[in-house]
Order: sequence, then C-alpha cells, then structure tokens
Amino acid sequence: MSQSQIQLITVKKFSQHPASRPLLARDADSMYWMSRYIERAEHVARLLLVNSNLLVDVGDLSPALQDKQWNSVLTIMRSAGPAAPSNGNSTRAGTLVPRYMTFDPENHNSLITCVTRARENARAVRENISAEMWECVNTLYWAIRGDDAAARFEESPDDFYRMVMNASMLFQGLTDQTLDHDQRWLFTQLGKYLERIDVSCGIVDTKYGILQASEQRLEGALRNIHWMAVLRCCCSLEAYRRQHVGDMEPLRVASFLILERHYPRSIRYAVAMAHEAIGKIRAEVNVLAIDPAERILGRLDAQLEYAEIGEILSEGLSQYLQKIRYQVMETAAAVQKSYFLH
Amino acid sequence: MFERYEVDGLFDEMFVAPGEPRAHYRAVAERLVGMGAEAFARRVRMADVTFRNQGITFTVYSDQRGVEKIFPFDLVPRIVPADEWDVIERGLAQRITALNLFCQDIYHEQHILRERVIPPELIYAAKMFRREMFHVNVPHNIYIHICGTDLIRDRAGNYFVLEDNGRTPSGVSYVLENRAIMKRVFPSLFTAYRVRAIEDYPYNLLQCLKYVAANKFDDPSIVVLTPGIYNSAYFEHSFLARQMGVELVEGRDLIVENSFVYMRTTAGLKRVDVIYRRVDDDFLDPLCFRTDSGLGVPGLMNAYRNGNLALVNAPGTGVADDKAIYPFVPAMIKFYLSQDPILPNVPTYICAEDSHRRYVLEHLHELVVKSTNESGGYGMLMGHQATQAEREEFAQKINADPRNFIAQPVVELSQHPSLIDGQFAGRRVDLRPYILMGEKPIVMPGGLTRVALREGSLVVNSSQGGGSKDTWVLEEDDGTPVQGEAAAPVALTNGV
Repeated sequence: MSQSQIQLITVKKFSQHPASRPLLARDADSMYWMSRYIERAEHVARLLLVNSNLLVDVGDLSPALQDKQWNSVLTIMRSAGPAAPSNGNSTRAGTLVPRYMTFDPENHNSLITCVTRARENARAVRENISAEMWECVNTLYWAIRGDDAAARFEESPDDFYRMVMNASMLFQGLTDQTLDHDQRWLFTQLGKYLERIDVSCGIVDTKYGILQASEQRLEGALRNIHWMAVLRCCCSLEAYRRQHVGDMEPLRVASFLILERHYPRSIRYAVAMAHEAIGKIRAEVNVLAIDPAERILGRLDAQLEYAEIGEILSEGLSQYLQKIRYQVMETAAAVQKSYFLH
Repeated sequence: MFERYEVDGLFDEMFVAPGEPRAHYRAVAERLVGMGAEAFARRVRMADVTFRNQGITFTVYSDQRGVEKIFPFDLVPRIVPADEWDVIERGLAQRITALNLFCQDIYHEQHILRERVIPPELIYAAKMFRREMFHVNVPHNIYIHICGTDLIRDRAGNYFVLEDNGRTPSGVSYVLENRAIMKRVFPSLFTAYRVRAIEDYPYNLLQCLKYVAANKFDDPSIVVLTPGIYNSAYFEHSFLARQMGVELVEGRDLIVENSFVYMRTTAGLKRVDVIYRRVDDDFLDPLCFRTDSGLGVPGLMNAYRNGNLALVNAPGTGVADDKAIYPFVPAMIKFYLSQDPILPNVPTYICAEDSHRRYVLEHLHELVVKSTNESGGYGMLMGHQATQAEREEFAQKINADPRNFIAQPVVELSQHPSLIDGQFAGRRVDLRPYILMGEKPIVMPGGLTRVALREGSLVVNSSQGGGSKDTWVLEEDDGTPVQGEAAAPVALTNGV
C-alpha cells in the first residue's frame, strides 16, 4: 500500500472523461496489489505442488539433490529461507521449505502472507469489487487461517495447494465476469500480469540453470520428467505437448515459455497483456502524455515480438530473463509514481 | 426448547406468561416449537457461515483472540406491532427535530440558556461542546442528520428513551444485513407476517446527503470518510458507501486547497461536496482539533466554515447527546416545539448538581452510574451488581469530576427469548432505531435490537459481548394469521 510523500506535489487537476467514475489513487493501489498477491499465491502453490510430485516421480534422488530442488523454490521466489529449527527436529529442506512457504507469517512470499495481504487489500476496496470476488478471497483467507488449516495441510498438502490454485483461477474468472472493464479492472490485470512475468522469469531462469548443469547426467525418461516439471510449474505442459508432441527439447521448452505468442502463460503473452492494460489506463486518465510505465512495457513487448531463441541463448538466457525481471520492477515503480502517489 | 423458559416478573417481549405468547408472536412461537433444536441449530450455522464469508464483522480491541469478530446474531426476531411503533415513530421524529433546533440555538443565539431552561455551565463544561462551531451556518440548519436513539422497556412494558447518539451512530449495517440473512435462513417466517421494509435506508440516507450539498449542483460529489480498515466499524463504512454508490475515502485521500476539498484520484484531484464522516470531531482536522490526528484532513474546518463543504453529522453535536444534557431533552421539546414529549426519558440524576450528587453517593447500590461522554458501555457502574470496593472507587471518581457523571435507577429491561446453548432463555434487550433528518425526519421502521448475552446482564453493547436480533415492525392491521382474539396458550413441550 502506498504512502504519501512529503514533497512539493504538482497538483494535477482532474482531467478524466466526466462520464467515467473516478478511481481513488489508494483504491487503484489496492486493486493492483490484491491481484498481484493472489497471482503470487497461485504460483507459490503450484511450485510447491509440482515439486513434491516431481520428487515422487523421480524416485530415489540423493538427499542433497532433493534439498536442491526444494531450495530452488526459494530462489525463484527470492525468499531468504527458513531458519533452522531450534528444537532438534528435521532440518531437511523437504519438510522445512513447504511449511515455510505455506504458513510462515515472517515470509513475505508465503501463502498465508500473500492471501492475507490480498484479502486486506480487497477489504479496503470492497466498494470497488463485486461481492463474488470478495467472498472468493475471504473464503480462501479463512480456509488458510482456520484452526484446522494445519491439520488439512498435513493430511494432504496437494489438496491444500490445489485449493489455493483453484481459488486464484476462480478469482480471475470472477474479476473478468463481474467487474466493469474500466480502470479498476485494468489495474487488476496490470498487477496480475506483472506478477506472472516476474515469477515465470524466475522459474525458467532457475530451473533451466539447474537442468542444464545436470544435463549430462540425466538420461531419457528422467530428463523428460524434469523438463515436464518445468512446464508444469508454468501450467504449460499440455499446451506445449499440443504443439511439440512430447519432445522435451530444452530449446523448444524455453522458447515456448518465453516467446509463445498465443498461450496465456507465456512471458511474451503476459507482457503484451500488461502493455495493453497500461495503455488503456493511460488513455482513460491522461490522453496526451506517454506514461513511463507504458514506455518500458511497450519496448519490452516489441522486443519479445521479434526475439528469437537462438539470439537469447547466445546472449545468455539467465541474463536475458533477469533483465526482464528488472524491467518489471521499473515498471512497477513507474506505475506507483504515476498513479498511486498522488 | 422452551422447557425451562422463565419470565420472572420481567416484561417479556414474546410471552405474557410462560406458554402464552402475545398475539403478534403466536406464529413465530408455533414455528419455533414445531421446528426443534436440531433444525434451529442448522439455521444458526447457516447464518454464521454467511456472516463470515461476507465479512460482516466488527473489531474488538480488548480481545486478544484475533481482531475480527462476528457480531453474534440471534435468529429469533423481535416483533413490534404497528400501533406500538406509531407512538415510537412520532416520538423519535419529535425528538430529532428538537435536538436539531437545540444545536442550532446553542451555537447561535442561545435562547435556551438566556431563558434559563438549561444551566449554562452544563453546556460550557460539556466535553463535546465545540466553540469552533459558534456562528457557523450549516446547510438547512441541520446538525444531526443521522441519529441512533436507544429505547428500553421497563417491567410494565413502557418505552423509555435511554439515550440519543447524535455524533457517529453505528449499527445500521447490521440491521440491513440481519434482515437479508433472516430472509435467507427463515423465509417461511416472513410469509406469516407483513414486515415493514427497511431496505430503503441507504436510498434515504443518500437523499439526505444530497439535500445538504453546499453548492446547488445536480450531482454533488459525496464521500464516506472512514478512519480505515482497522477501525472497529469499518465494515459499516464500506457497506454504506457501497449501498449508496459513493466513494469511501480516508483522511489521506483528501486534500484541501483554496478552502475546497478534493480527493486524490488516478486522474488528479476531484472536488468533494459532502462528507458523511465516521471520524470523531477530535480527529477531523489537525489544524482545528487534535493536532496529533492522522485520520483527518488539515484545513477541513476551513472549507466547512467557508460554506464549501457539508459535513454529516455536523461537528459539535456531542453537546446534544451528552448524558448530562439528556435530562433536558423533554424541556427542549417544550421550549422549541411547545409540545409534550411523546417518549419519556429515564429519570436521571446529574452529579454536577449538589443535591443530586448527594443522593447518588448515598444510593450507589441501587443506581446505574455512567460517564457523560463514553460510549460502548465503557465507564459504567452497575451499582446493584458491583462490589463494595468498586462502588467506593467510583464514588471517588464522582467526587473528583462530578460534571462527568450521571446516574439512573436500574431499569429492569425487557427480555426476549434468545438461543443460549441449544435452549431458549430470556435475555435483556434494547432497541436502537435510526432516524434521518433531511427535508423531514425519516424514522427507519425497526432498528437494531441488541441482546445482552450474559445471563442477568443489562449491558447490550457489542464491545461488551452483546449480540443482535432482526427487528420486525408490522404493517398496519396485520399482526398474525389469527384475527382479533387473544392468543391461546401454545404447548411448549411437544416434540422438542
């Protein structure tokens, strides 16, 4: 949530088209963050789900390798990681990381933190969202915070993660179908897609790095399982298969996840949608000027439209993706400055 | 479920005597008896889930177990027949008219003080008397646009006004949500009665807000000002803003420039004409009232005094709902309207007055003593239930600051069947109707019936663990399906 800064504010007089309803700067901030946090929760839940299923599929991995897989989740989300338990219990990443990423309130990216913040933001803008959207977030909140949440998680972590993922999908559907597609809706889309770009870059960057390093040691079926897991993390396995018929070729996987034109989970698609959202916001609010956030996203959109996977790899995949992540950060800061800090 | 129900010499809303419901409650009593405990419990669960999923909560700060709570809701409705309500309605309309005339007078010519109807020192020592409002002209001379007046009944069933709440009365959102949930959970009960609708409250409120818009635009810009999501009544602020279709703002969303108020939108500053403010006077404007307030808007009072803004309710109305001024309301009605009060006050002793204070100190064990400006049931002594030590402590407080205390004889509030641990038991209730003042007074038919859930307790406030009920005011000429005659006793022990 934003804070007003004590500085000389150039007072901008109200310039919006009189027919459309004005949106409080603070409300825009909340709509944006509400969507970002829900999207983040969905990604975290999916990462944890896919990872735990992967470890079952590959069977006997050495403990060190298992830990590495779990720690990759932390790397993707840029989370510091759990403190070692002081009571002498297991320090295995396999037990610590899921709990840390699900229930730890100190972890900024844990499911409980993301859902709580999403709900707080939703509460602050209740008059701007539909009752259905509110009930969706609120129900998820109580499900995660309820007295029986820990017990349900122990009984079936998979079901728990699916609950979060499904709630996010439901929320997106409700947002699209029960909200007027005006500024309010546009800010939710902007928040959602910026978050998607950020996390997807993290997934591809981290997982690709791990897999490439162990490429020589992985054979056939095992190799496929790992690459399938990467696609699953981005909810893209089936769509990829429809195009490439199960050929888990690393280049093709990376290309699909980054550059695929039509699939909603690709980075390219998310950038295009974010660009569209910011463009429409700017058009509704301030017809003449070009918005700095729009400029960044416009350039990124054009870049991805004409990019080619070979060039990306020769530049360095990790470097390329980190540059995109950096631009997302810049966009977010620009959005905050232009629209939230009035 | 009524097996162990006792009436005990109190006025019971539902029963004349155990087993004998009043005519207008007969249908409800029959349904409840026929329903049985399990079916009723199922409906209670349904209601609870609905409350929680919709986030109809309030916040209690003294409680450590989580910050948000569901306001306990009892599913048995409280029913008021049309003829009883007619008197109440006229009495409340009369009262809000007189209170507004009083506010207008007290901040201008002060005739009521010159004529010695009220001692001036009581007014000037009132904590909520705002000198900043002297000679400020307010739109249509309306100060109290929204009032929540608390009514109680004594052992004989007579209605009394316990107090007025003319600053930022809350609770109306629960009234509206309670009704919605009752319709969902007990649709069959509604078919047996014709209940007067309350759903037009947000519309009426909006019309009142439009009425006081300072500039005569057709489409004044109206906002609800909230302290924020951590305020205990935040749900209501958000709810009313939504129902009326107006923006919900916090102090930090507003800015005053050139004595006009603007709100910060993504497209720049948009002017605001009317503020329905749910922030107390003290926190409204750090340049005028408390300087440490972060909830208000610097310069707001400036805009207000320049006539560029309407505030609902106006600042300074606390002088009218001060508990030490409350005893003079019947005198106000006489003075301004030349009428007798339709609704009586509870007899009150003002500790600021020597003879009253002496009586109070000698009879602490029989009286309820209240601070004049607290709300939420805080700062009270229930003399007949307190220990000797508590009474002595309170006596010291009274002597230290007599102006701050009033006392009233204990009124044995009426009771109403409420579900406690699977059985119905009598619990004390009060009634808070909501009155709007626009072009004319509009009294909402019904209001919040609050229930003191602890056995024997007379304190109904939510912050003290109270609950609520839906209140049904019946349409004229329609009490029950049984026409005319007194209700026959209902067998209360079948099938339970």
